[in-house]
Amino acid sequence: MIFNIALKNFYRQGARAALNVLVTALIIIAVIFNLSLLNGFQAQGTRNMVRTNIAGGHYVAPGFDILTPTEWENLTLKVPDKLHAIQHSDKAEVLVQQGQIYPNRRLFPVQLRGIEKEQTLLDLPLQSLDAYPASVKDVIPVVLGAKMAKKSHLQKGDTVVLKWRDKFGAVDAMDMLVVEVATLVNPRIDEGVVWLRLDHLRQLTQRPGEVTWVAVRDHLGPVAGMEFQTLEMLMQDLLALLKHDRRNARILWVILMFLAGISIFNNQILILFKRQREIGTLMAFGMTSSLIVGMFTLEGSFAAISAVILAACLGVPFFAWFQSVGLDVSHLSESSIPVKDKIFLDIQPVETLVTVLVIIVVMIAVAWIPSRRISRMDPTLALRGRGIT
Amino acid sequence: MIFIREYMIKLDRVTKVYPVGTQDFTALHEVSLEIEQGAFMSFMGPSGSGKTTLLNLIGGLDKATSGDIYFKGVKLGDMSRDELANLRRKEIGFIFQSYNLLQVYSVYENILFPLLLNKEKEPAVRDKVMNMIHQVGLGPETDKKPAELSGGQCQRVAIARALIKGPSLILADEPTANLDAENSYNILELMRKLNEDFNAAFVFSTHDEKVSRFVNREIRLEDGRISSDKIKTPQGRPV
Repeated sequence: MIFNIALKNFYRQGARAALNVLVTALIIIAVIFNLSLLNGFQAQGTRNMVRTNIAGGHYVAPGFDILTPTEWENLTLKVPDKLHAIQHSDKAEVLVQQGQIYPNRRLFPVQLRGIEKEQTLLDLPLQSLDAYPASVKDVIPVVLGAKMAKKSHLQKGDTVVLKWRDKFGAVDAMDMLVVEVATLVNPRIDEGVVWLRLDHLRQLTQRPGEVTWVAVRDHLGPVAGMEFQTLEMLMQDLLALLKHDRRNARILWVILMFLAGISIFNNQILILFKRQREIGTLMAFGMTSSLIVGMFTLEGSFAAISAVILAACLGVPFFAWFQSVGLDVSHLSESSIPVKDKIFLDIQPVETLVTVLVIIVVMIAVAWIPSRRISRMDPTLALRGRGIT
Repeated sequence: MIFIREYMIKLDRVTKVYPVGTQDFTALHEVSLEIEQGAFMSFMGPSGSGKTTLLNLIGGLDKATSGDIYFKGVKLGDMSRDELANLRRKEIGFIFQSYNLLQVYSVYENILFPLLLNKEKEPAVRDKVMNMIHQVGLGPETDKKPAELSGGQCQRVAIARALIKGPSLILADEPTANLDAENSYNILELMRKLNEDFNAAFVFSTHDEKVSRFVNREIRLEDGRISSDKIKTPQGRPV
């Protein structure tokens, strides 16, 4: 019975209830949007890192650290047979060395990254290098990322002096030809990186058959002379950044939930205050306090449930529209976050369900807490509108 | 032949004291009285004389500071809040000065409400509600909301709502205070008729002398004490 009465009371409250439901629905949409956008950002960042650089992990020369370029020269080794024998779709051999270029007579330190041209494990737009012979002759063909090209003021067809040291410490120099300026989705393999063919870099540095690391699709167990760095190890800094973002998102989530809770709580207090005479009348009719508390809590609960329904009605088309346009994050291209120009929502069903359930529980709780006052209310004062002061 | 009068309500030396700030205000001083089944009576007196307090105590909405109140032999002071609520739900109907109708409900739903509280189902009691609506003369207003009704019509709804569950006692607090003279007489005549039809006791608290013309017992209160208790012949509407 109280269900029907509460339902009638709720939908006949009119604009006040509708506004409350709308605010809560918008908060639900905002919370899910915020979490899903972060998921999308995280998923794309991780995917791009894996697709363009990390794959399933790296077998690395022991002691190698990408952040210590002065040690790169010494930390190369011959590719172990176990890794060399893997087919090209499952591994990519990479040699990393230091170098300098001199665009516009300025010294520009670069990372020379040679990658075998046959590999198909990593998604890198380096096909332009395939047309050149295996042996470097007059110029060194290289590919630059768009950000690197912009920073070094180089473009396709430009030649510039490249200087490097070979295995025996001899400094050598030669013109490099920018055969392509490629769009790389991962800034970490763009800025400061000059892409060469692995055979060319091996020839220039006199390191035949040597690599710095071998990216693999799957971990193959221990390989003599190399240490395996997992996906998590290689993405440590990015994952830390994303974890920080997730914490911020949770704080925002709590703030939004708090606002929604306050909104319902406040509305419930207002309703109790305005409907004291009604409460007194219901008591006079013989409704027990617990029944009246239940009725008012149910009314608050209907607001939460209606908000979820409204959030679905408004949210689904909004999310569908958003997936068609995405969020422009081109401003992040200057940072080292591996995301494209646009990111899209990654709506996790479990996370969404948990969010909705938590919101419903919180809303019911904040509807119930002020309603408990009814059980302490004196019916004679309530009838005079003085039950709550 | 010996007639034994059955008292429905008995008050025995009932006192009610309210704290007002740091002091106590005694609203009722050791009031004793009995009300029989089917009574049509009033508590008369000026504001602050204790009429409404007396009504609230009889209706189980408030508890006496001292003294005992019995409803059909059961001591109200020994009952819990929920037991008092159950008693009111089954046995007592209330009529208020400002009607206290549920604004979101129609006339029909307002009258139906006490039956729903008593766990009766709507289709089964529809005829009963419609009969009551016609008995109080509100046929065309069935689907209207209280905001669309006049004061007299609202009070008719309140009367129907109080009577629909077949209570043995109706407590009416200043039922004519918000009505003009014509409507007051109409309402009093209606209540008189319903009192005869349903054999429910009607107890009014009022300072409206018009009510005095219709009741057959009038208890006057002054400063929380009974100053007079008269059995009288109702005069009805003045000619």
